[in-house]
Amino acid sequence: MIGRRGKVLLLLYGMFLVLLFLMCSTDLIIREPEKEIYQIAVIIEDVRSDQYSNFRKGMDQAAVEFNADVHFITLYEKADAIQQMELMEREQQDDADALIVVPADEERVPAKQMGIPVILLRPRRMVEAEEGSVIIEYERMGEQLALEMLEDASPNCSVLILTGQGRQSAMDNLFLEGANKVFIDNGYNVQTIVKDQSNGFRDDLENIVNWDNKKALILAVDPESLTEAAGILADNPDIEKKVQGLYGRGSTLPILNYLDRGQIAGVCVTDEFSVGYLCVRTAIRELEGDRYQPPIVMTSYYIEKKDLRDPAYEKLLFPIE
Amino acid sequence: MLRRKLVMFVLATCMFLSACHSSQKEDAMTSIRIGISLYRGDDTFINNIRSLVEEKAKEYERENGIKVILDIQDAKGNQNTQNNQVERFISLGCDVLCINPVDRMDASTIIDKAMTAGVPVVFFNRQPVEEDMNRWDQLYYIGVDAKETAILQGKMVVDLYQEQPQAVDLNGDGVVSYVLLEGETSHQDSLIRTQWSIQTLKNGGVPIEKITGGIANWERSQASALMEQWLLSYPDTIELVVSNNDDMALGAIDALERAQSTTKVNVIGIDGTTPGLEALESGKLLGTVSANKELYASAIVELAASCVLGEELPKEYPLTDEKYYWTPQEIIIHRIE
Repeated sequence: MIGRRGKVLLLLYGMFLVLLFLMCSTDLIIREPEKEIYQIAVIIEDVRSDQYSNFRKGMDQAAVEFNADVHFITLYEKADAIQQMELMEREQQDDADALIVVPADEERVPAKQMGIPVILLRPRRMVEAEEGSVIIEYERMGEQLALEMLEDASPNCSVLILTGQGRQSAMDNLFLEGANKVFIDNGYNVQTIVKDQSNGFRDDLENIVNWDNKKALILAVDPESLTEAAGILADNPDIEKKVQGLYGRGSTLPILNYLDRGQIAGVCVTDEFSVGYLCVRTAIRELEGDRYQPPIVMTSYYIEKKDLRDPAYEKLLFPIE
Repeated sequence: MLRRKLVMFVLATCMFLSACHSSQKEDAMTSIRIGISLYRGDDTFINNIRSLVEEKAKEYERENGIKVILDIQDAKGNQNTQNNQVERFISLGCDVLCINPVDRMDASTIIDKAMTAGVPVVFFNRQPVEEDMNRWDQLYYIGVDAKETAILQGKMVVDLYQEQPQAVDLNGDGVVSYVLLEGETSHQDSLIRTQWSIQTLKNGGVPIEKITGGIANWERSQASALMEQWLLSYPDTIELVVSNNDDMALGAIDALERAQSTTKVNVIGIDGTTPGLEALESGKLLGTVSANKELYASAIVELAASCVLGEELPKEYPLTDEKYYWTPQEIIIHRIE
């Protein structure tokens, strides 16, 4: 038989247990460390994201590691700087904590003042402050590729340059500038072919078949043009016979497949997985207070078919998530 | 008096709560976040659809002033990876999921997660089983009617045979000898495409005879290896290659080119992928059946958006059984001079 005092103690004990339970379940005693999820918007300069597959893998990897929520935004029109700046504003208003921007042009977009950290994927080294940037030097990449092309060139070669339609991005322009410089310095005449709206490069490349004793050394300025030109060569052995080599930049799966099948002779690539990863990491560090991170300059590599199975390049071209 | 006060208090509370709820809903309507998981990002047809979905999402954004955020992930043919992606989409606050299932027989995990979180799901390209689709009224499917596809594929050969028999019966022996390239056995469309394509050829009076066939899992390289083997085993015999998709048809063409065969072989595919249409233009592929990919992608975006906004789907996208949207298809054939 429990006495009155016992009952009171039992009641108090019960109340203590309930209180303890409530305190535990409401984080009053054991507080879970709050993990902040950073919202990061990535705004590229293109209308499509196909060329960014390895970049996205790196970005996703960093997002998981650093607890970030990263989303990818493409433009309505390629290299439209005004729209890109509008999207930067929009994302800031929509509570993005940081932006990663592949600038549509070299001046206006990087100069835009924002209230949140902006990590720029710059297409060349700049004179002014470039903290928190990741740099791929496209002009040097163009030079490097053109020099490799000239090593393969026979004396009766003509250089054809394939470019996309309309406005070109800063990276396309710089890459072309670099390559052009090498060709001109070496006394080559360069013929530029702009992609036709309806037929692409097909008609122009079909004309090569009628060339006498000459072969074409072709440089595609952007990955999209390279993929299209390689597809045309794959479909037309007659054109392929008149081509000394097709070259370009990029490491998408179709490009690597064409390189493996021999339609593409060589490409310049960067470690895009690392670029994506480093951009997100730089953004996170900046959000955590590290305002003055030195710029990261990426190396570019020239690869041919024989390099595809080289373990050093394999990791770079086919990153495992 | 006290009761009246109590009723007034309850009513005021309800109105306050409902106002809070509707203002939250209005906030959500300024942007839609769609989580998209692809069974394999390197599948040509899926890649075409993915690019178009990105395009259509931007169009939708421009026309409706509603920001559309796409989170696109590649499941790399692994159902567990896809399940994890779905979990992440939900935890990131995606409003709707668009899933191209890895294993259509195993969509229940995705559905469970989505139902628990109250997030609608639009499946596409690989149709979950009916029992799964009937579990919730917020599950939809967008694809093509496999039977219609197969009948159209068969019909393109039947029509050509009726117009120019020599263009199909290439050796003129009165029999069209064919080989068959099939997709994955677990995909609902493989069996149906095979069955109805061949049935249509028979019904249309084409005197066909099967030499052999094999499963190439929708892949160009696997189809190419099979075809290479068949060209060695049955030299100068094959007149027609019936393929369940364009990628495998292109694989067969690759093998024919490698073999430098001088004997003509007709190859037919399905999907109307970009490389498929290029091969068709150059005359390597006789024909393909193409879904209207623009409409396919638009339907994915429109249906996803209408689920989130609680609006009715535009009339251009009629739903069968309030769940299924079947994309229109057409025959594209290389005109033989």
